[in-house]
Amino acid sequence: MTSVRPVVAGRTDRARHQRPAPPGATARRGRGARRSERLAPYVLLAPAVLIIVLLRLWPLLLGVNFSFTGDGDRDGTMVGLDNYRELLADPLFRGALRNVGLLVLLLPVAVAIPGLLATFIYLRVPGHRFYRSVYFFPAVLSPVIVGAIFNLLLAFDGPLNTVLGGVGIGPTDWLGDPDVAMFVVVGVHVWATFGMALVVFLAGFATLDATLLDAARVDGASLPQTIRHVIVPSLSRTIQFVFVTTMIGMLTSMFGLLYVMTSGGPEGSTYLPEYYIWIQQGQMNRPALASAASTVLFGVMLVVGLLQISLLRRGVREA
Amino acid sequence: MSRVRPSRWLLALPMALLALATIYPLVFTANVAMKTRREYVLDRFSLADALRGENIATAWNTVDMGRYLANSVGTVTASVVLLLLFGSMAGFALSQLRFRGSSVLFLGCLAALFVPFQVIMVPLNRIMADAGLVDTYPGLVLAYVAQFLPFTIFLMTSYYRTIPTEIVDAARIDGNSVYGVYRRIMLPLGAPALLSVGILNALFCWNDVLIALLLMPSAEHRTLMVGVTSLRGQYSADIPSFASGVLIAAIPVLVVYLFLQRQIADGVAAGSTKG
Repeated sequence: MTSVRPVVAGRTDRARHQRPAPPGATARRGRGARRSERLAPYVLLAPAVLIIVLLRLWPLLLGVNFSFTGDGDRDGTMVGLDNYRELLADPLFRGALRNVGLLVLLLPVAVAIPGLLATFIYLRVPGHRFYRSVYFFPAVLSPVIVGAIFNLLLAFDGPLNTVLGGVGIGPTDWLGDPDVAMFVVVGVHVWATFGMALVVFLAGFATLDATLLDAARVDGASLPQTIRHVIVPSLSRTIQFVFVTTMIGMLTSMFGLLYVMTSGGPEGSTYLPEYYIWIQQGQMNRPALASAASTVLFGVMLVVGLLQISLLRRGVREA
Repeated sequence: MSRVRPSRWLLALPMALLALATIYPLVFTANVAMKTRREYVLDRFSLADALRGENIATAWNTVDMGRYLANSVGTVTASVVLLLLFGSMAGFALSQLRFRGSSVLFLGCLAALFVPFQVIMVPLNRIMADAGLVDTYPGLVLAYVAQFLPFTIFLMTSYYRTIPTEIVDAARIDGNSVYGVYRRIMLPLGAPALLSVGILNALFCWNDVLIALLLMPSAEHRTLMVGVTSLRGQYSADIPSFASGVLIAAIPVLVVYLFLQRQIADGVAAGSTKG
């Protein structure tokens, strides 16, 4: 990288001196200058390509390879599918996969909430500008801060239980009950991120043909009918995009919440693959096993990602 | 839209309640941060009887929040500068220049978008350790740049595609080299996109906890968000000081949001509609 930068600086300086040259002078610039112009795109791309290949794509291959080797005494020796066998036998990892299943089931809710709110904002509910700013704010807060705030609110002797106690509902151990904790963490994640999807939906609405809505109004369509027959079909691309990004968000950006709110507990009930990878790598000193879990997570992501690539390419073609 | 009008006020009510549910946790935390421990134990909800700074001072001093804040500001600044530099260079090349392999390179960057950090975390840690970059600021900055560069390139490429090639051609005829075009045309014209992408990247890096936890094990290298995770152990019985630490960490983002909300939303929207 550093070897590239001085070249860039040198060339631009030279270009400045050449600036007054008439167009005809190009031919006389010599082979060196033309060669450097031909190489320019590669020079411009070099730092980016180097970083992405070395620190994103190469580790991916390394990790897959790593997942077939052993930990501890067997470090570096090939052990075939042992790590994967161990993963599937580990109740913590199976719990993590079960929780991924739960996320998939909750996905439609996590998409529908911002979708409906965006619709209302688009229809200019009184105060829509204010709502938009408020709803979006938690989306820019770190999951760590969000988690810390909810630790406070959801503590057993905390304010939520105080309020519920006031209306005669017994206290719930929101983060300490294995049957409840995962739902609570997902709920907080949705609270914190629905503003992001909302903004994406609103960007989609900006491309919506307003005459369609007028036509629906002239035909006397109710709001639910308008949503079903006009808005959903017109925004199908945006809806697909939100589905994919919300799923990816659930699989890869809940670490901060899990780390702060539950640490995977109670009784391992709030493990997700990303948290399992972290524990095996950092706490249990089982990097090869962690790599196997990474590879499984990547498999899940790949299915989601391929879907997204096809959407992106369609977008590029339309643009 | 007159038919919808009566129901509009009906919709406004649940939306107002939701807005309250969105703001209240933050207001509650800020209020608790102003309370004494005694006040909090007696009544969770009462307004603090004074705007007190003691808890803030306690959190600032005992947890070394000042140091963590400085660490975060430094790494985020360096990361964003490098991301914008490399991202705009690559975006310019991919959008405006014709050369062999450009589509392969673009697809390569796109593919990297779908490699989440969790998947490469173990081998990346090894690579960083082998290079002697674990627990160093250059290592963390490099990891952030690698993490958010594909997204940056993607947005800069789509933005630069909207600039007519005639502008570049004209500048070339005027005798500018490719690098001259980048510096004199693409950087200034790209300013709005660079601002949006820069703020988004700053938020991503600022809010990260996983990468910093993995690559910066020693306590004096903690970023602010890693510092927040240590608050709970520190103040398990002193809730107001805990809330103060959280507040200190939340305020910079709140300030940025109040001033640059539009740019943040534009960046997110651009990522979705261009995508």
